[in-house]
Amino acid sequence: MISEEVIKDMVQQIVEKMVIDKKQRDVENNLPKTNVNKQSMECVNDEKLKDLTAIQIQDYFAVPDPDNKEAYLELKQNTPARVGIWRTGPRYPTNTLLRFRADHAVAMDAVFTYVSEELLEEMGLFSVSTLCRDKDEYMTRPDLGRKFSQESIETIKEKCIKSPQVQIYVSDGLSSTAIEANIKDILPSIMQGLKNYGLKVGTPFFVSHGRVPAMDVISEVLDAEVTVVLIGERPGLATGESMSCYMAYGGKVGMPESRRTVISNIHRGGTSATEAGAHIAEIVKEMIEQKASGLELKL
Amino acid sequence: MRENVLSVGIDIGTSTTQLVFSRLTIENTASIMSIPKIQIIDKEVVYRSDIHFTPLLSETKINGEAIRKIIELEYIKADIPFEKIDTGAVIITGETARKENANEILSTLSGLAGDFVVAAAGPDLESIIAGKGAGAGKLSKEKSCTVVNLDIGGGTTNIAIFKNGEVVDTACLDIGGRLIKFEDDQLKVAYASKKIKLLAKDIGVKIQIGKSLSLDEVELMCKRMADILAESLGIIPQTPLLQEMLTGTPLKLKQKIDYISFSGGVADCINSKDSTPPFKYCDIGIILGKSIGSSSWLEGSRVIQASETIGATVVGAGTHTTEISGSTITIESSILPMKNIPILRLNQEEEELVNDQLSCKIAEKLDWFRLENGQQLVALAMKGFKNPNFHQIQQLAKAIIKGFESKLEEKEPLIIVVENDMAKVLGQGILAHLIDKKDVICIDSIKVDNGDYIDIGKPLANGKVVPVIIKTLVLNY
Repeated sequence: MISEEVIKDMVQQIVEKMVIDKKQRDVENNLPKTNVNKQSMECVNDEKLKDLTAIQIQDYFAVPDPDNKEAYLELKQNTPARVGIWRTGPRYPTNTLLRFRADHAVAMDAVFTYVSEELLEEMGLFSVSTLCRDKDEYMTRPDLGRKFSQESIETIKEKCIKSPQVQIYVSDGLSSTAIEANIKDILPSIMQGLKNYGLKVGTPFFVSHGRVPAMDVISEVLDAEVTVVLIGERPGLATGESMSCYMAYGGKVGMPESRRTVISNIHRGGTSATEAGAHIAEIVKEMIEQKASGLELKL
Repeated sequence: MRENVLSVGIDIGTSTTQLVFSRLTIENTASIMSIPKIQIIDKEVVYRSDIHFTPLLSETKINGEAIRKIIELEYIKADIPFEKIDTGAVIITGETARKENANEILSTLSGLAGDFVVAAAGPDLESIIAGKGAGAGKLSKEKSCTVVNLDIGGGTTNIAIFKNGEVVDTACLDIGGRLIKFEDDQLKVAYASKKIKLLAKDIGVKIQIGKSLSLDEVELMCKRMADILAESLGIIPQTPLLQEMLTGTPLKLKQKIDYISFSGGVADCINSKDSTPPFKYCDIGIILGKSIGSSSWLEGSRVIQASETIGATVVGAGTHTTEISGSTITIESSILPMKNIPILRLNQEEEELVNDQLSCKIAEKLDWFRLENGQQLVALAMKGFKNPNFHQIQQLAKAIIKGFESKLEEKEPLIIVVENDMAKVLGQGILAHLIDKKDVICIDSIKVDNGDYIDIGKPLANGKVVPVIIKTLVLNY
């Protein structure tokens, strides 16, 4: 038999333990709760947070006590590679890690956002889409990004001047950000250059969900001598604003890729949009004079 | 897609005249998918002349005919015809530049030495050319440090300080190995420059033409000259005499100097262990070199061997005077090459003006510039924008045209030189807004200042770039 004393002891212990557990639970419950509150408060005020991508990666320098900071920074001007970012043990320091993730987020946004309607309206560009219905289909079905529905083709035919010397169009490609960043400066710059050279330019427009070879369909449909597409480049960690310009003389569906001429790396950290536009105009002039593009074009 | 450019460098110095031919290799270093980037990727000296004494008619006159013969002879020896030369520079340096017919010699020589060879001089430019020729510029870039080069010639010492590959400061001193010339090895003075007399007086030595000096007196003077060099570099405290020996402004000495290198004829005597008779050349050069070499202030400094000594200036003139413009430019090939274009540069404040304010400023400066210079040809220079938007370019193009409005009917082309990469679009913008047709040359990636002159050569790399030489025509001693 258990004595009354022993039972009393046991009950007391159990009760005490329950009280302690409750206290602990309360503490535990309270802690995350206040944390969650704090976090959500900070989220609301994220305007006050520092924009990690505000400074160029070339100027980002985290080496403590450098021997010659100036010389290191000068070397860094030559590359967007992540050097001089320091480490803690085998890992990145917090700031460096956050910067990496912020740049990655910029790249993701560039791919998955759309070029704003206002911008297209301002530039006077009408819009058609390839066969892709959304960004997911665009990503997974490159073949559909090169084709148009009969309806889209009719729209293009209806709204554009037929058989121009130069047909320019704009396409989001893999970075809508690139289009938003460059198009206002590069399009008029190309137009001005072509006008100086006395070349006749067709009606510019916009193609969403476009891959580069979509330009060949447009070349055929509009019977353009030279077709030029300004298209967003696959973004990397260096910038999401980089744009390419592909050009072809007498473009045909199924033609070899070697017949395309390309100017890449157009963004504020690479070749500026205005200067690139002036250069593109001259290349187009050369194409028309030489009746060639790509590897056949001698520049 | 490599292309070679043959360049000549001719240096007519206080004591020696030399010539080198070098080959500059240019190549498009950008990938096939990018805007071209044409650069000089290699520089190689392919021929060196003998070292000739500079022929003089008198103490104040250069023997132009004799110099012409020397140069013609070297062209024949090198087996290079004049018309093969693409670029280069003739430079009259040191005391020779102060001779009364220096300008005349320059202009006749620049015609002789090939279609696109220019005359260049001036102490600042001389210092820079010598420093680059001596390898100081390259070393400071490779080691990310500050290097000072002292080019000690017959008449002057040209100092250039390079930091991380860029020139940051220059100065010139009247210190050299031929400031005193002797008739024989008995130290009978045949010639002494004005400045060396000043220095001698400062230390109580009396120089008289026709009278002999003692070895002690010569050594005393050379020791003092060596110390003046250290004073100018801020290694030892400065004395009032330093000011007298400077030809222009002193060094600003804003940066710590990591290395010292010596070039010029005297440099070979600094560490020389051989037993050349000290007055072999009937001047004070060898003693000056030895005095520098044995100076106590040199022990605390890090000295490095220059890649060129007596040939630093001529190699510099042959390989470091030609620059290549940016690869996206606007040019009118039919009017190139053009020589001796004076620069009118807008300052930072003026560049920030827009529209009418800017065009009025340009017009005002142009009128003033013509009054000063008495010639119509001019290149308008500016820094320009880093990432210009299309609107900015249009505004600038219109303002430039309006600024030049009253001059548009003249036959001179419209020449614009900008630092930032924007010359093609700016040139096209100007062409688009010009009412009547006019030749427009708009080049970039070239940094020039008021007082500079430029030569623009025939286009290279299939018309993508032009070679540019920046020079100072004024012999401003």
